[in-house]
Amino acid sequence: MTGRTAEPATEAADDDGGELLAGTRGTSRRGLRRLLLVGTAAVLVLGGCGFLHAAHRLNSAPSAENRALTDTEATARVAGEVGNALARVFSYTPDGTAAAERSARTVLDGRAARQYDVLFDRVRGDVAEQRVTLSTRAVRTGVVELDGDRARLLVFLDQTSRRGTDAATTAPAQLTVTARLRDDRWRIVDITAR
Amino acid sequence: MRRARILTGAGLVLALGFCGTGAWTYAQARTDDTLAYGRERDEALADGRAAVAVLTTLDASTRQRAERGVRAWRAVSTGPLREELGRAGAESGASARGTVTEAAVTALDPRTGTAKLIATVRVEVTSAGSSRPAVDRKRLEAVLARTGEAEWKVRALSAVPLTAAEEGEDR
Repeated sequence: MTGRTAEPATEAADDDGGELLAGTRGTSRRGLRRLLLVGTAAVLVLGGCGFLHAAHRLNSAPSAENRALTDTEATARVAGEVGNALARVFSYTPDGTAAAERSARTVLDGRAARQYDVLFDRVRGDVAEQRVTLSTRAVRTGVVELDGDRARLLVFLDQTSRRGTDAATTAPAQLTVTARLRDDRWRIVDITAR
Repeated sequence: MRRARILTGAGLVLALGFCGTGAWTYAQARTDDTLAYGRERDEALADGRAAVAVLTTLDASTRQRAERGVRAWRAVSTGPLREELGRAGAESGASARGTVTEAAVTALDPRTGTAKLIATVRVEVTSAGSSRPAVDRKRLEAVLARTGEAEWKVRALSAVPLTAAEEGEDR
Protein backbone atom coordinates (compact mmCIF):
# COMPACT_ATOMS: atom_id res chain seq x y z
CA MET A 1 0.00 0.00 0.00
CA THR A 2 2.73 2.43 0.94
CA GLY A 3 4.66 1.56 -2.26
CA ARG A 4 1.78 2.54 -4.43
CA THR A 5 1.00 5.82 -2.70
CA ALA A 6 4.66 6.80 -2.97
CA GLU A 7 4.48 6.53 -6.75
CA PRO A 8 2.49 9.68 -7.57
CA ALA A 9 4.66 11.61 -5.12
CA THR A 10 7.88 10.86 -7.11
CA GLU A 11 6.10 11.61 -10.35
CA ALA A 12 5.09 14.96 -8.94
CA ALA A 13 8.70 15.69 -7.91
CA ASP A 14 10.00 14.91 -11.43
CA ASP A 15 7.61 17.22 -13.17
CA ASP A 16 6.28 20.31 -11.46
CA GLY A 17 3.65 20.91 -14.16
CA GLY A 18 2.21 17.42 -13.72
CA GLU A 19 1.64 17.88 -10.00
CA LEU A 20 -2.03 18.54 -10.40
CA LEU A 21 -2.50 15.63 -12.79
CA ALA A 22 -0.53 13.23 -10.61
CA GLY A 23 -2.52 14.34 -7.60
CA THR A 24 -5.85 13.63 -9.27
CA ARG A 25 -4.57 10.27 -10.49
CA GLY A 26 -3.61 9.43 -6.92
CA THR A 27 -6.96 10.39 -5.52
CA SER A 28 -8.90 8.58 -8.25
CA ARG A 29 -6.91 5.41 -7.60
CA ARG A 30 -7.44 5.86 -3.86
CA GLY A 31 -11.13 6.51 -4.54
CA LEU A 32 -11.36 3.35 -6.58
CA ARG A 33 -9.71 1.37 -3.82
CA ARG A 34 -12.03 2.90 -1.25
CA LEU A 35 -15.02 2.09 -3.43
CA LEU A 36 -13.80 -1.50 -3.69
CA LEU A 37 -13.37 -1.76 0.08
CA VAL A 38 -16.75 -0.25 0.79
CA GLY A 39 -18.27 -2.55 -1.82
CA THR A 40 -16.66 -5.61 -0.26
CA ALA A 41 -17.81 -4.57 3.19
CA ALA A 42 -21.34 -3.99 1.92
CA VAL A 43 -21.41 -7.41 0.24
CA LEU A 44 -20.16 -9.04 3.44
CA VAL A 45 -22.76 -7.25 5.58
CA LEU A 46 -25.52 -8.12 3.12
CA GLY A 47 -24.36 -11.74 3.05
CA GLY A 48 -24.36 -11.82 6.84
CA CYS A 49 -27.88 -10.42 6.92
CA GLY A 50 -28.95 -13.02 4.37
CA PHE A 51 -27.51 -15.87 6.41
CA LEU A 52 -29.06 -14.58 9.65
CA HIS A 53 -32.42 -14.18 7.95
CA ALA A 54 -32.30 -17.72 6.54
CA ALA A 55 -31.27 -19.08 9.95
CA HIS A 56 -34.12 -17.18 11.60
CA ARG A 57 -36.58 -18.61 9.11
CA LEU A 58 -35.38 -22.14 9.85
CA ASN A 59 -35.53 -21.56 13.60
CA SER A 60 -38.97 -19.99 13.66
CA ALA A 61 -40.66 -22.19 11.03
CA PRO A 62 -43.93 -23.80 12.19
CA SER A 63 -42.19 -27.18 12.14
CA ALA A 64 -39.63 -25.85 14.65
CA GLU A 65 -42.19 -24.28 17.01
CA ASN A 66 -44.14 -27.53 17.19
CA ARG A 67 -42.38 -29.85 19.65
CA ALA A 68 -44.63 -32.87 19.08
CA LEU A 69 -42.31 -35.91 18.89
CA THR A 70 -39.16 -33.74 18.76
CA ASP A 71 -39.41 -33.36 22.53
CA THR A 72 -39.95 -37.02 23.39
CA GLU A 73 -40.39 -36.51 27.12
CA ALA A 74 -42.97 -33.71 26.86
CA THR A 75 -44.84 -35.58 24.10
CA ALA A 76 -45.09 -38.79 26.12
CA ARG A 77 -46.17 -36.80 29.16
CA VAL A 78 -49.02 -34.89 27.52
CA ALA A 79 -50.21 -38.03 25.68
CA GLY A 80 -50.20 -40.04 28.93
CA GLU A 81 -51.92 -37.38 31.03
CA VAL A 82 -54.62 -36.65 28.47
CA GLY A 83 -55.26 -40.36 27.80
CA ASN A 84 -55.58 -41.05 31.53
CA ALA A 85 -57.80 -38.03 32.07
CA LEU A 86 -60.23 -39.11 29.33
CA ALA A 87 -60.33 -42.67 30.69
CA ARG A 88 -61.11 -41.37 34.18
CA VAL A 89 -63.82 -38.86 33.30
CA PHE A 90 -65.60 -41.21 30.90
CA SER A 91 -65.61 -44.24 33.20
CA TYR A 92 -68.22 -44.73 35.89
CA THR A 93 -70.31 -47.27 37.73
CA PRO A 94 -74.02 -46.81 38.64
CA ASP A 95 -73.11 -45.85 42.20
CA GLY A 96 -69.81 -44.17 41.49
CA THR A 97 -70.55 -41.23 39.19
CA ALA A 98 -69.16 -38.93 41.87
CA ALA A 99 -65.64 -40.23 41.27
CA ALA A 100 -65.84 -39.41 37.56
CA GLU A 101 -67.23 -35.95 38.28
CA ARG A 102 -64.49 -35.33 40.84
CA SER A 103 -61.86 -36.29 38.27
CA ALA A 104 -63.55 -34.01 35.76
CA ARG A 105 -63.14 -31.04 38.09
CA THR A 106 -59.40 -31.57 38.30
CA VAL A 107 -58.65 -32.38 34.64
CA LEU A 108 -61.26 -30.45 32.65
CA ASP A 109 -61.37 -26.72 32.20
CA GLY A 110 -63.07 -24.08 30.09
CA ARG A 111 -65.40 -25.24 27.34
CA ALA A 112 -64.66 -28.94 27.98
CA ALA A 113 -65.79 -28.61 31.61
CA ARG A 114 -69.05 -26.93 30.56
CA GLN A 115 -69.70 -29.57 27.87
CA TYR A 116 -69.09 -32.29 30.43
CA ASP A 117 -71.48 -30.77 33.00
CA VAL A 118 -74.27 -30.56 30.41
CA LEU A 119 -73.65 -34.14 29.32
CA PHE A 120 -73.52 -35.49 32.85
CA ASP A 121 -76.66 -33.71 33.97
CA ARG A 122 -78.43 -35.52 31.16
CA VAL A 123 -77.15 -39.02 31.90
CA ARG A 124 -76.91 -38.97 35.71
CA GLY A 125 -80.51 -40.10 36.23
CA ASP A 126 -80.29 -42.88 33.62
CA VAL A 127 -77.00 -44.16 34.99
CA ALA A 128 -78.46 -44.88 38.44
CA GLU A 129 -81.84 -46.04 37.15
CA GLN A 130 -80.72 -48.34 34.38
CA ARG A 131 -77.55 -49.46 36.20
CA VAL A 132 -75.22 -48.26 33.45
CA THR A 133 -71.53 -48.96 33.67
CA LEU A 134 -69.12 -47.26 31.30
CA SER A 135 -65.45 -47.94 30.95
CA THR A 136 -63.22 -46.01 28.59
CA ARG A 137 -59.72 -46.80 27.38
CA ALA A 138 -57.43 -44.74 25.15
CA VAL A 139 -56.15 -47.14 22.47
CA ARG A 140 -54.14 -44.66 20.37
CA THR A 141 -52.94 -41.18 21.23
CA GLY A 142 -51.22 -38.91 18.76
CA VAL A 143 -49.90 -35.44 19.51
CA VAL A 144 -50.63 -33.16 16.56
CA GLU A 145 -49.23 -29.96 18.07
CA LEU A 146 -47.24 -29.23 21.17
CA ASP A 147 -46.19 -25.65 21.76
CA GLY A 148 -45.08 -24.83 25.27
CA ASP A 149 -48.26 -24.83 27.34
CA ARG A 150 -50.70 -25.73 24.54
CA ALA A 151 -51.27 -29.07 22.88
CA ARG A 152 -53.65 -30.61 20.39
CA LEU A 153 -54.10 -34.37 20.37
CA LEU A 154 -56.00 -36.99 18.46
CA VAL A 155 -57.22 -39.77 20.72
CA PHE A 156 -58.91 -43.05 19.77
CA LEU A 157 -61.08 -44.43 22.56
CA ASP A 158 -62.82 -47.73 23.13
CA GLN A 159 -65.89 -47.38 25.31
CA THR A 160 -67.44 -50.46 26.86
CA SER A 161 -70.87 -49.96 28.33
CA ARG A 162 -73.27 -52.29 30.07
CA ARG A 163 -76.88 -51.77 31.04
CA GLY A 164 -77.94 -53.77 34.07
CA THR A 165 -77.19 -57.42 33.41
CA ASP A 166 -77.11 -57.10 29.61
CA ALA A 167 -74.01 -58.11 27.69
CA ALA A 168 -71.38 -55.40 27.44
CA THR A 169 -71.02 -53.59 24.13
CA THR A 170 -67.93 -51.76 22.96
CA ALA A 171 -68.03 -48.74 20.68
CA PRO A 172 -65.24 -46.61 19.22
CA ALA A 173 -64.90 -42.87 19.78
CA GLN A 174 -62.43 -40.47 18.19
CA LEU A 175 -61.70 -37.13 19.77
CA THR A 176 -59.59 -34.11 19.03
CA VAL A 177 -58.53 -32.71 22.37
CA THR A 178 -57.05 -29.31 23.15
CA ALA A 179 -55.08 -29.21 26.37
CA ARG A 180 -53.37 -26.47 28.35
CA LEU A 181 -50.58 -26.80 30.86
CA ARG A 182 -51.63 -25.03 34.04
CA ASP A 183 -49.93 -25.38 37.41
CA ASP A 184 -47.67 -28.06 35.96
CA ARG A 185 -50.62 -30.19 34.96
CA TRP A 186 -52.24 -30.77 31.57
CA ARG A 187 -55.91 -29.86 31.62
CA ILE A 188 -58.35 -30.55 28.79
CA VAL A 189 -60.00 -27.33 27.61
CA ASP A 190 -61.83 -28.51 24.49
CA ILE A 191 -63.11 -31.78 23.07
CA THR A 192 -64.37 -32.30 19.51
CA ALA A 193 -65.70 -35.61 18.21
CA ARG A 194 -64.22 -36.73 14.90
CA MET B 1 -4.57 9.07 6.20
CA ARG B 2 -3.42 6.29 8.48
CA ARG B 3 -6.47 6.71 10.69
CA ALA B 4 -8.71 6.34 7.64
CA ARG B 5 -6.89 3.16 6.68
CA ILE B 6 -7.22 1.73 10.18
CA LEU B 7 -10.91 2.58 10.14
CA THR B 8 -11.43 0.90 6.77
CA GLY B 9 -9.50 -2.15 7.92
CA ALA B 10 -11.52 -2.37 11.13
CA GLY B 11 -14.74 -1.95 9.14
CA LEU B 12 -13.76 -4.74 6.79
CA VAL B 13 -12.86 -7.05 9.66
CA LEU B 14 -16.19 -6.27 11.34
CA ALA B 15 -18.09 -6.95 8.11
CA LEU B 16 -16.20 -10.21 7.65
CA GLY B 17 -16.92 -11.19 11.24
CA PHE B 18 -20.61 -10.38 10.81
CA CYS B 19 -20.84 -12.43 7.63
CA GLY B 20 -18.97 -15.32 9.30
CA THR B 21 -21.30 -15.26 12.32
CA GLY B 22 -24.29 -15.26 10.01
CA ALA B 23 -22.95 -18.20 8.01
CA TRP B 24 -22.18 -20.11 11.20
CA THR B 25 -25.66 -19.49 12.65
CA TYR B 26 -27.21 -20.64 9.39
CA ALA B 27 -25.04 -23.76 9.27
CA GLN B 28 -26.04 -24.56 12.86
CA ALA B 29 -29.76 -24.23 12.06
CA ARG B 30 -29.38 -26.18 8.82
CA THR B 31 -27.72 -29.14 10.54
CA ASP B 32 -29.74 -29.02 13.77
CA ASP B 33 -31.15 -32.52 14.38
CA THR B 34 -34.25 -31.33 16.22
CA LEU B 35 -35.16 -28.89 13.45
CA ALA B 36 -34.58 -31.54 10.80
CA TYR B 37 -36.72 -33.98 12.80
CA GLY B 38 -39.52 -31.43 13.01
CA ARG B 39 -39.39 -30.86 9.26
CA GLU B 40 -39.50 -34.62 8.60
CA ARG B 41 -42.47 -34.98 10.94
CA ASP B 42 -44.43 -32.28 9.12
CA GLU B 43 -43.56 -33.73 5.71
CA ALA B 44 -44.64 -37.21 6.84
CA LEU B 45 -47.89 -35.77 8.23
CA ALA B 46 -48.71 -33.80 5.07
CA ASP B 47 -47.84 -36.65 2.67
CA GLY B 48 -49.56 -39.23 4.91
CA ARG B 49 -52.75 -37.18 5.18
CA ALA B 50 -52.95 -36.73 1.42
CA ALA B 51 -52.19 -40.41 0.79
CA VAL B 52 -54.86 -41.63 3.23
CA ALA B 53 -57.42 -39.37 1.54
CA VAL B 54 -56.48 -40.84 -1.85
CA LEU B 55 -56.61 -44.41 -0.54
CA THR B 56 -60.10 -43.96 0.91
CA THR B 57 -61.41 -42.41 -2.30
CA LEU B 58 -62.51 -44.18 -5.45
CA ASP B 59 -64.70 -42.91 -8.22
CA ALA B 60 -66.07 -46.10 -9.71
CA SER B 61 -68.91 -44.61 -11.73
CA THR B 62 -67.26 -46.00 -14.87
CA ARG B 63 -64.60 -48.61 -15.40
CA GLN B 64 -62.07 -46.10 -16.75
CA ARG B 65 -62.49 -43.89 -13.72
CA ALA B 66 -62.07 -46.87 -11.42
CA GLU B 67 -58.85 -47.80 -13.21
CA ARG B 68 -57.59 -44.25 -12.81
CA GLY B 69 -58.47 -44.43 -9.11
CA VAL B 70 -56.51 -47.63 -8.63
CA ARG B 71 -53.53 -46.05 -10.41
CA ALA B 72 -53.76 -43.12 -7.97
CA TRP B 73 -53.76 -45.63 -5.10
CA ARG B 74 -50.61 -47.23 -6.44
CA ALA B 75 -48.95 -43.82 -6.79
CA VAL B 76 -49.26 -43.05 -3.07
CA SER B 77 -48.42 -46.53 -1.76
CA THR B 78 -45.27 -48.58 -1.56
CA GLY B 79 -44.09 -52.05 -0.53
CA PRO B 80 -46.68 -54.66 0.46
CA LEU B 81 -49.69 -52.35 0.09
CA ARG B 82 -48.66 -51.39 -3.45
CA GLU B 83 -48.32 -55.05 -4.43
CA GLU B 84 -51.70 -55.81 -2.94
CA LEU B 85 -53.32 -52.92 -4.81
CA GLY B 86 -51.63 -54.05 -8.03
CA ARG B 87 -53.70 -57.22 -7.91
CA ALA B 88 -56.92 -55.31 -7.31
CA GLY B 89 -59.12 -55.31 -10.37
CA ALA B 90 -60.99 -52.16 -11.27
CA GLU B 91 -64.70 -52.50 -11.83
CA SER B 92 -67.48 -49.99 -11.78
CA GLY B 93 -69.65 -50.05 -8.69
CA ALA B 94 -69.92 -48.11 -5.47
CA SER B 95 -67.89 -44.89 -5.23
CA ALA B 96 -66.31 -43.51 -2.08
CA ARG B 97 -64.90 -40.14 -1.16
CA GLY B 98 -62.67 -39.95 1.89
CA THR B 99 -61.76 -36.78 3.77
CA VAL B 100 -59.17 -36.84 6.52
CA THR B 101 -60.68 -34.91 9.44
CA GLU B 102 -57.65 -35.19 11.72
CA ALA B 103 -54.30 -36.92 11.64
CA ALA B 104 -51.25 -37.22 13.87
CA VAL B 105 -47.82 -38.79 13.52
CA THR B 106 -47.34 -41.18 16.43
CA ALA B 107 -43.83 -42.41 15.67
CA LEU B 108 -40.99 -41.27 13.43
CA ASP B 109 -37.56 -42.65 12.71
CA PRO B 110 -35.78 -40.35 10.23
CA ARG B 111 -32.75 -42.66 10.05
CA THR B 112 -34.66 -45.62 8.63
CA GLY B 113 -37.30 -43.41 7.02
CA THR B 114 -40.32 -44.97 8.70
CA ALA B 115 -43.26 -43.35 10.44
CA LYS B 116 -46.62 -44.23 11.90
CA LEU B 117 -49.72 -42.11 11.52
CA ILE B 118 -53.22 -42.26 12.93
CA ALA B 119 -56.09 -40.56 11.14
CA THR B 120 -59.84 -40.14 11.34
CA VAL B 121 -61.56 -40.25 7.99
CA ARG B 122 -65.06 -39.31 6.91
CA VAL B 123 -66.05 -41.52 4.00
CA GLU B 124 -69.06 -40.82 1.79
CA VAL B 125 -70.11 -43.98 0.00
CA THR B 126 -72.42 -43.71 -3.00
CA SER B 127 -73.67 -47.01 -4.35
CA ALA B 128 -74.13 -47.30 -8.10
CA GLY B 129 -77.92 -46.92 -8.05
CA SER B 130 -78.58 -44.31 -5.39
CA SER B 131 -77.68 -40.65 -5.45
CA ARG B 132 -77.60 -40.05 -1.73
CA PRO B 133 -74.27 -40.93 -0.10
CA ALA B 134 -73.98 -42.83 3.16
CA VAL B 135 -71.51 -41.29 5.59
CA ASP B 136 -69.14 -43.47 7.53
CA ARG B 137 -66.45 -42.47 9.99
CA LYS B 138 -63.30 -44.54 10.19
CA ARG B 139 -60.24 -44.53 12.37
CA LEU B 140 -57.15 -45.71 10.58
CA GLU B 141 -53.54 -46.39 11.28
CA ALA B 142 -50.94 -46.14 8.53
CA VAL B 143 -47.32 -47.20 8.33
CA LEU B 144 -45.36 -44.77 6.18
CA ALA B 145 -42.03 -45.20 4.45
CA ARG B 146 -39.86 -42.49 2.96
CA THR B 147 -39.13 -43.39 -0.63
CA GLY B 148 -36.08 -42.35 -2.66
CA GLU B 149 -37.67 -39.12 -3.81
CA ALA B 150 -37.92 -37.83 -0.21
CA GLU B 151 -41.63 -38.50 -0.35
CA TRP B 152 -43.60 -40.43 2.24
CA LYS B 153 -45.76 -43.27 0.98
CA VAL B 154 -48.09 -45.69 2.69
CA ARG B 155 -46.73 -49.20 3.34
CA ALA B 156 -49.71 -50.47 5.28
CA LEU B 157 -53.15 -49.15 6.10
CA SER B 158 -55.56 -50.70 8.55
CA ALA B 159 -58.53 -49.84 10.70
CA VAL B 160 -57.77 -49.57 14.41
CA PRO B 161 -59.86 -52.45 15.84
CA LEU B 162 -61.91 -52.42 18.99
CA THR B 163 -60.07 -54.16 21.77
CA ALA B 164 -62.03 -56.72 23.74
CA ALA B 165 -62.89 -55.38 27.17
CA GLU B 166 -60.44 -56.61 29.75
CA GLU B 167 -61.70 -58.68 32.62
CA GLY B 168 -62.57 -56.62 35.63
CA GLU B 169 -62.44 -53.32 33.79
CA ASP B 170 -66.07 -53.40 32.78
CA ARG B 171 -67.27 -54.42 36.19
